[in-house]
Amino acid sequence: MMRSLFLFDMTFWLYLAALGLYVAYLFAKRPAMQMAPAGHPIENLEDRDGAWATQLGQVATLVTVFGWVLNTMALMTRAFERMEHSGTFAPWSNQFEAMAYVSWAIILGYVLLEFRYRIKAVGAFVVGIGFIAMGAASLLPYRYQTAEPLVPALNSYWIYIHVSVTLTSYAAFAMAGGLGLMYLFKERAVNRGSQSRFYAAFPDLETIDELGYKAIMLGFPLLAFGIILGAMWANYAWGGYWSWDPKETWSLIVWLIYGAYIHARMTRGWEGRKAAIYAIFGFLMVVFCFWGVNFLLSGLHAYA
Amino acid sequence: MNDKPDAASEMSASGPSTSGLGWEEFSREVVDFFASIKLAMFLFIVLAMTATIGTVIQQGERPETYVQEYGEEAYRWFVRLGFTDVYHTWWFTGLLGLLCVNSLTCFHKRFPSVWRSMRQDKVSVSLAFIQGMKQQITLSLSQPKETVAESLVRLFAEKGYKVLAKSDPGEVTVYATKGIMGRVGAHVAHLSATVIVLGGLLGSYYGFSEFGVCLEGQTYHIPRGNFDLRVDKFWIDYHENGSVKSYNSTLTVIDQGAPTMTKTITVNDPLVYKGIWFYQSSYGDAWDQIEAARINIKDKASDKVVATVDLEWNKEKAVEGLPLKMKMTDFVADFAFNSTEKKVFSKTAEHANPAIRLAVDERSTVQSTPWVFYHYPDLFEIKDSAYQFEFIGYQPKKFTGLQIARNPGIMMVWIGCTMLVVGMTLSSLIYHRRLWAKILPGESGVTVHLGGTTHKSQIDFQKEFRKLTEKIQAKTSA
Repeated sequence: MMRSLFLFDMTFWLYLAALGLYVAYLFAKRPAMQMAPAGHPIENLEDRDGAWATQLGQVATLVTVFGWVLNTMALMTRAFERMEHSGTFAPWSNQFEAMAYVSWAIILGYVLLEFRYRIKAVGAFVVGIGFIAMGAASLLPYRYQTAEPLVPALNSYWIYIHVSVTLTSYAAFAMAGGLGLMYLFKERAVNRGSQSRFYAAFPDLETIDELGYKAIMLGFPLLAFGIILGAMWANYAWGGYWSWDPKETWSLIVWLIYGAYIHARMTRGWEGRKAAIYAIFGFLMVVFCFWGVNFLLSGLHAYA
Repeated sequence: MNDKPDAASEMSASGPSTSGLGWEEFSREVVDFFASIKLAMFLFIVLAMTATIGTVIQQGERPETYVQEYGEEAYRWFVRLGFTDVYHTWWFTGLLGLLCVNSLTCFHKRFPSVWRSMRQDKVSVSLAFIQGMKQQITLSLSQPKETVAESLVRLFAEKGYKVLAKSDPGEVTVYATKGIMGRVGAHVAHLSATVIVLGGLLGSYYGFSEFGVCLEGQTYHIPRGNFDLRVDKFWIDYHENGSVKSYNSTLTVIDQGAPTMTKTITVNDPLVYKGIWFYQSSYGDAWDQIEAARINIKDKASDKVVATVDLEWNKEKAVEGLPLKMKMTDFVADFAFNSTEKKVFSKTAEHANPAIRLAVDERSTVQSTPWVFYHYPDLFEIKDSAYQFEFIGYQPKKFTGLQIARNPGIMMVWIGCTMLVVGMTLSSLIYHRRLWAKILPGESGVTVHLGGTTHKSQIDFQKEFRKLTEKIQAKTSA
């Protein structure tokens, strides 16, 4: 019955392969790192790669893109299955589908970032998070993975937009978390004066920092929009736009945490290391809001 | 507010101080404090931390629940600190209020300069100012001053910049700016906080939210709207696999005696009339009424069932072939008897011990009103009657649970939300960029000092700056 589950499975394995390739890419042999010419700190990082690294990097990108295409097909197949069984097509109507959608959004974000900034080293971190999201989804019991019909409260056109917007913001925060982790790795290498080829593929600290900031700048308004759409939905379904339900409250908490981050960035001394640690912390809060709340706290959002 | 100076120091320069020496300094300090980013960060973090309390401790439960789970001492602290209803405590509301003050003061302090630079910005700057910028470059070009200036103006304008140029003796300064809306957006988002909070307050003071249990076919008066509501029908639709598809109630609004509106509401589709919203909220079996009851009539002498009748609610029925007329007059879902008031009532809303009261007329001579029990068929006996009545089945009457609410603050909340989303989006997607080019006569041709600043998105700006530089070189050398 569930053709989509096969495709989700394939996606999982391809993301695993992509992750392995990106890690291998980092370890591949490179010619000695050259200093960036003054005034042009952003050089083309691919120029630093040796023959092996170039090959591995290309294959990694290819596998990632292919995995993402399969992920897209899996979601679309699921949408058709939903149409047959439950009268809605939103392929993000339960925890499993939501996870699969988040990893889809993370990988899409990563691929766009790679094409725009030509930095492959990010893949080892961000594709990793996308893979973990997909993996966590496939670890869910089978009965959570199927396309059961929606309960009446969820059966509304609001599900298309509220859920997708909120999940996309989670993906942006995941990206920022991965970049934060990467920043800390690179910083350690810089502080030790490491000449390891491993770090040669990493962009400079300022770029990682700025990219992480950009990801949060994207996620922050998206989350606000998602929460507001949720409030509008609640006003139609529950008889009030805000009821301090745990999920609702936690999404607000996450938003407030990133609000503090956005404001902190305006003050001196909150770039770099602090921002990176904060982005990782924020991402952990997102994970709690997305997963922890469903399993640990009870509330109106219990179904998703 | 347009041209009001934002810094108190400007005020002291223009007018004599009126209220003592320290006043201006003091008020400046106060404004600085309330407009500070540090306060904003503090409030965001404290609000985030305190908001977690209500997700860990169940809100609005009965005292016994807390005492049972946390102990008496803890419960006393909960009450003192308001942990049983965190989001409505004075201190939580106070924090939200402070956030509004913070964002408003920030607007008051910082918006005027944004407004000024929207209308006009400084064109003439010193050479040192340009050279001190993060992005800056010096180019030597072999064309006359005017040509270079013209091509710079054209290039910046092509890239969507607003361009101003100023000719001074010996030099030309070109100023270009783009993306001021990014900064305006941030201020719009700041204002939205207050709009949303005010909308929320308006709703909680002048709005209401109630829960009503309504039976099919009944009409209820809605005093807050001064109209009546009739519940025509309630039913449940199912999916093929037996799970619930939707709960539906058909409602009719009767205003001044005349039906004015009929709508079938479902969980995601409420009825709205005169600003009052009716939501499909829950449903259940009524505890004081049923649709129909099935009664077995036993002949006492032979102990055999002689007839089975289905009674409808409150409708008298003559039993065929027997000298009996019967009527069902009362129902309780969970039978209980109050001995002091001599009254039957339903202990709970659960159908734990259903019982009906019959009005039996036998041969027009024996009249009785017995209670008969679903679970206990031979509990009572009617002395003079030749028959025994057994309550063997019934069809429950469904009630529909309606949430009835009015929120006069909701429009304001949505306006605030729109401002927030629009403001935040502008502020994160658009960034304010400013470029200055000073064109000075050089040895052969001119020297151009080009510099630019942005308040965020450094990498993108760096790229853009580099591309601009390349374009300038390409254009002016061709």
